[in-house]
Amino acid sequence: MNKFIFILAEGFKNVWRHKSSAVSSIFSIYLMLIVSGSLLIISQNTNKLIEYLRDKYKIEVFFKDGVTEKRVAELVEDFKSINGVNTITVISKKDAERIFKSQFGDDILSILGYNPLPISCVINLKKDWPAKIDIKPIIVNLRKYREVDEVNHQGKLISRIENYYETFLKVMVIIVSISLIISVFIISNTVRLTVLSKKELIKSLQLIGATKWFVKAPFIIEGLVHGLLATILSVYTIIGILNFSKYFIYDLTRFDIFYDKVFIFQVLLSLSLLVGFIGSNRAISRFLK
Amino acid sequence: MIKIDNVSYSYSKGGGVSNINLTIEDGEFVFLIGPTGSGKTTILRLLYMDLFPKAGKVIIDKFDSQSIKKRKVPYLRRRVGIIFQNYHLLEDRNLFENIALPLHVLGYDKEEIIELVNESIDEIGLTGKESHYPYELSGGEQQRACIARALIKDPDIILADEPTGNLDPVASFELIKLLEQISKEGTSILMASHNYNLIKSRGHRIIEMQNGSVRQ
Repeated sequence: MNKFIFILAEGFKNVWRHKSSAVSSIFSIYLMLIVSGSLLIISQNTNKLIEYLRDKYKIEVFFKDGVTEKRVAELVEDFKSINGVNTITVISKKDAERIFKSQFGDDILSILGYNPLPISCVINLKKDWPAKIDIKPIIVNLRKYREVDEVNHQGKLISRIENYYETFLKVMVIIVSISLIISVFIISNTVRLTVLSKKELIKSLQLIGATKWFVKAPFIIEGLVHGLLATILSVYTIIGILNFSKYFIYDLTRFDIFYDKVFIFQVLLSLSLLVGFIGSNRAISRFLK
Repeated sequence: MIKIDNVSYSYSKGGGVSNINLTIEDGEFVFLIGPTGSGKTTILRLLYMDLFPKAGKVIIDKFDSQSIKKRKVPYLRRRVGIIFQNYHLLEDRNLFENIALPLHVLGYDKEEIIELVNESIDEIGLTGKESHYPYELSGGEQQRACIARALIKDPDIILADEPTGNLDPVASFELIKLLEQISKEGTSILMASHNYNLIKSRGHRIIEMQNGSVRQ
């Protein structure tokens, strides 16, 4: 317990003792967190947008003449078991007649003397797919039924939107990974400079019987404190920018930017602690080899 | 007990020691003399296992250089006090903090550390200078601080590498007397020096090194 308190105190004191190198380390983590935090918010909002668009995806299935409403009800139950299908709304011949009248203003019965409109159903897709939605298998499944006359869908549009979304996710992962790697290297080099300037301390600690962890721990705590300080600064910066700009963005696009302060803090804190730990551990471990 | 059994070590750039055999009993005070480059520091580094023999073995109580795992070396060093010619005090810590460092490594609690360090500072005659940084102390005071740091953990063995190298004759004489007093209390001491005049009349065993070997 006494050792733990000493190590913890040394880690915090080191931040103050090495304040000039701390500034560059904190600043590099801060920049990485600003990039990652911005991408996180863009990703959350893109996700919200994609869910909104997915909500609009619809597949219309028209049944052949003579298929009874009872058979349609059975078919609808079958359709529900197809992977990706969320809800199904059946449009009976009477419903179709009503829709025709509301859209064209004419009563089809009085024009033709009979109702030629087929029974149909509208299929809504699930929104929370793990990756991009591929509706081709759903269409192929629906067309297998001999009672189905025609399947209308926005396949090309959906696949274009989904491809953009997939590319966006990949690019985001690449940018975050690159900024993480760069940060690890910067922190590692900053801590290495500190370690080199503390050669005397490290040697003295080793000669009086300090274990590897006793020597390493204060440097790692120092890296973690850098990460924590950078997180606080970056979260305030990001939220400040969002508060300042969200009204302009809403005025321009009618799009209300969504963000969760606690979630942003949690993600950025985890990232910065990870980067701080890996960076400082890498530097001191290479020195102690 | 310290035992060096047919030990050889060579540096990649040349120099080192060859076929060294040496035994130091508990509580014995032994001088290691020889010119610069004769292998005195190498012997000391082999003893605190900063170097490992290329042939032969070093045994300090239960620690054997041939079988010890690297992670166990700190536990050997906790039983050894090391004193250097250049003091190796930490410039960014005051006298109190420098002497207290080994006790933090050993996990002593705050009250014990305060008591032991103050007692130690009193013993070396530096009371009132607890908050002085190394650059505010004279060479003799720094060397006494270095001794206090080596002694505070109550080691079984003291290895001193040219501890009088930067001291004037009076301070050197006082330091030898201090080490003799410590030795009388049961601590084994191996002190390297190239100042034969300082040690010749002290009545302790003298081992002479030359070109990496013990001179018979």
